[in-house]
Amino acid sequence: MIARLLAVVAAALVLAAPAAAAGCARPRTSLAYLEGQVMCPICHTTLNQSDSAAAVQIENVIRAKIAKCWTAQQIETLLVANYGPAILAAPPHKGFDLLAWWLPIAGVLGGALVLAAGVWRWSRGREPEPAAGGSGLDEETERRLDEALARFE
Amino acid sequence: MSRRLKLGAQLLALGCVAGLLALLVWKLAHQEHAPKVGTIAPVFTLRRLEGAGKVSLASLRGKPVVLNFWASWCIPCKSEAVVLERDWARYKGRGVVFLGVDDKDFASDARRFVAAHGLTFTMLEDGSGSVTGRYGVAQVPETYVLNRQGRIVAHLAGPLTYPRFAGEFRQAIAKAEAA
Repeated sequence: MIARLLAVVAAALVLAAPAAAAGCARPRTSLAYLEGQVMCPICHTTLNQSDSAAAVQIENVIRAKIAKCWTAQQIETLLVANYGPAILAAPPHKGFDLLAWWLPIAGVLGGALVLAAGVWRWSRGREPEPAAGGSGLDEETERRLDEALARFE
Repeated sequence: MSRRLKLGAQLLALGCVAGLLALLVWKLAHQEHAPKVGTIAPVFTLRRLEGAGKVSLASLRGKPVVLNFWASWCIPCKSEAVVLERDWARYKGRGVVFLGVDDKDFASDARRFVAAHGLTFTMLEDGSGSVTGRYGVAQVPETYVLNRQGRIVAHLAGPLTYPRFAGEFRQAIAKAEAA
């Protein structure tokens, strides 16, 4: 009985070994993506812009985790646990860091509102166009102008 | 544009400029610089790289301390490790404490580095680089020598393998022991 059990375990290990060695068949993220999301801790640029030893070390860790089918989120969580939140290129969507996301949007909206209000005021303040066909002169001036012109005829 | 609207827009613009200026001043005021020789070294508590527990710098008052910042990915740290271990063997009997602070690194890689170089002095983890930042370390390796009162007697920015650092390091330890 024990011999049969051992044989089954051995067969399972033999079958499982190539699968483990092959790594992740369908990676859930890519190095190219994470290189743009993760900062090099000593050069303060994203990994894809750095070839420092620290960046290379992080890239190696990312490669190893991708090969184990980790998601981008899992890898980022690991990096944040090790290096702190500054390792991520984008600020977190919570707390004070939310300002970094909302301030630019608020700025653009505010600017658009000011511009719209300015355009509206400007268009309202303009003089109305003279009526088509009219001279734009009052009756008295028009009469005097006609008299003056008549003298030259 | 009405006078009130114009005034509002001007005030808003002025507020934005003032805000940016305040941000710049805050950033400049909070910039991390290396503490000067003669000043008290910033205190910290860090986790041990190997084994459980933490080490507090303040708890080492009364002993000269050699504080070395390093990382497993740092190339000059490899040759420096040999020098540090040799000096540790020389000074440990005299009560000098050597502390290695592993900066912006993976603990697993750091442990491999320690094992590969046979380092036996106390190693601490500073993965986020918060302590390293307070010491103004721009590029590892860097070494501080502190006297018994926790005052900095030397700051050697570079590997201890530099010929000029060999003499400076010994003089600094002698100074730290004397104080």
